[in-house]
Amino acid sequence: MSISLKRVRAIFVKDYKEFSRNYAVSIILIFPIIFALLLRGTDPSLTGVFGLVLNSSFVILTTFAQACLIAEEKERNTLRSLMMTPATTMDVLIGKSTLVFAMSAVVLAIATYIFGYEPVNIWVFVAVIILSIILYTAAGTICGLFSKTLLEASLSIIPVAIVFTGAPGGALLVKDFPIFKVLEYVPSSQLVNLLNIRNIGYTTGDLLKPLLVTLAWTIVFIIVAVVLYQRRLKDE
Amino acid sequence: MQFQPMYDDGELFLPKIELSMTSNQSIGIITDLKRKQLLMNQLANHSQYHLFRAPQNEYMRLTVEELITFLIKVTERNEHTASLLGYFALKEERKVKIKNLSSSRRMYVTLLRVFFAHQPTLVLEEPYFYLEEQDRRHFKRILDDLSKEKRILILTSNLEDAIISCDTIYRLNESGFHQLDIRDSEEDKQEVQEQDPANITLQKISTKRNDKVILFNPPEIDFIESLDGSILIHVGGENYDCALTLTELEQRLLNFGFFRCHRSYIVNLQKVREIITWTKNSYSLRLNTGKDDVVPLSRTKLQELKALLNI
Repeated sequence: MSISLKRVRAIFVKDYKEFSRNYAVSIILIFPIIFALLLRGTDPSLTGVFGLVLNSSFVILTTFAQACLIAEEKERNTLRSLMMTPATTMDVLIGKSTLVFAMSAVVLAIATYIFGYEPVNIWVFVAVIILSIILYTAAGTICGLFSKTLLEASLSIIPVAIVFTGAPGGALLVKDFPIFKVLEYVPSSQLVNLLNIRNIGYTTGDLLKPLLVTLAWTIVFIIVAVVLYQRRLKDE
Repeated sequence: MQFQPMYDDGELFLPKIELSMTSNQSIGIITDLKRKQLLMNQLANHSQYHLFRAPQNEYMRLTVEELITFLIKVTERNEHTASLLGYFALKEERKVKIKNLSSSRRMYVTLLRVFFAHQPTLVLEEPYFYLEEQDRRHFKRILDDLSKEKRILILTSNLEDAIISCDTIYRLNESGFHQLDIRDSEEDKQEVQEQDPANITLQKISTKRNDKVILFNPPEIDFIESLDGSILIHVGGENYDCALTLTELEQRLLNFGFFRCHRSYIVNLQKVREIITWTKNSYSLRLNTGKDDVVPLSRTKLQELKALLNI
């Protein structure tokens, strides 16, 4: 499958213009910043707070934006038309994902700065965040493919929000419900674990575990999203 | 191009169709909604056919200029946006967002997607349906230019839309797949038979339908067409077979204000509402029969008609 930078860029620019002029959707860009502003004053010993900011931002910004971009094209039949141009599946997906990735990265960087969080190891932190953005973009692609209209897309992210944002909370109940131990391995829980690592007394293993778990999730989601995208478009 | 037969409740719904399409030819098929869908579903091969379906929509928040730039880039063509905007006659609207265009213009801009197609065959569903006259002319010009290199298939339910830019027109309905004769041939000579002056002029035209003989008063008739060798008399949107030839009918109906407007058509001039002068091959006549019927008019017959109508 060939990827043409020119076509990817054309799709990126087109989606950027469409997205930035759709105020009903692009307003979500300020959500993580407001959230960070509201919660910045909390007691630093409440370690889960910044994790909550990040995890909910991933769903509400990254997943939602990607789902909307795809669902809107489906709603207007432009995706079908795009499939008849030389643009390949990867061109379309990369063009859209790059836009969502860039927006999420910038907004989350601002939110982190406002919240005043300082990671113990900046590289591991950045790597996990980048992987998470890609992971949630893939989740958004899957949501977008299952919805026919914008309205359906905004509803389809609710299950993602429950599973991913809710997982760290659920993991706290592990004493009452042993089954919730699996929630430990959801990437949002791993992110919270990573954020909880204190400056003193951590091992490389503590750092690597969240990174590897997130990496595994990301690879699985990307494969599912790409395969599903190709299957769904054939059906139309 | 080949279509497989389709059956619906045991009845043949879509006959087996073979179209031999050469380049720079445009074909129109007049048919209903369900058959249009079935035909298009058989053309799913993206490397051969560019399908333009009627519910196609556009990126509403881009401006016209941005959209054309996007289409050029994504199809990797070498044209310049500015020159294409001139060619599409969209210079004045280039800064307008698609959603702010009038609905006819928006459809016109949406239809321009077929200009960027790389497939050898373009299939368009109802391209002219939502267009106003000016946009129809622009789009017809673009399609005519495109047909120099590509094969064009237009699916529509309206003969007038097909006449605008098709060389060959077929009608597909429950009675099968037939070619309509709309070509404007110069050798329009017919051997006019000398009628016996002693013959009594018949007042009724006899037709057949389901083994019944139905007689019509000439003024009831909207128009008469010759389709695959059989003569169809159109009355109030229905058609009836007639055993006479067009030449015989022409002779008989001359005194009732009928006019042989085309080799294959006779029209009741009392029912003509409009002379359309800009369709592809010939001129056309629109009738005020309530069903929006359109009948082709040969170039050679135009002068004769004008003389008849004193215009």
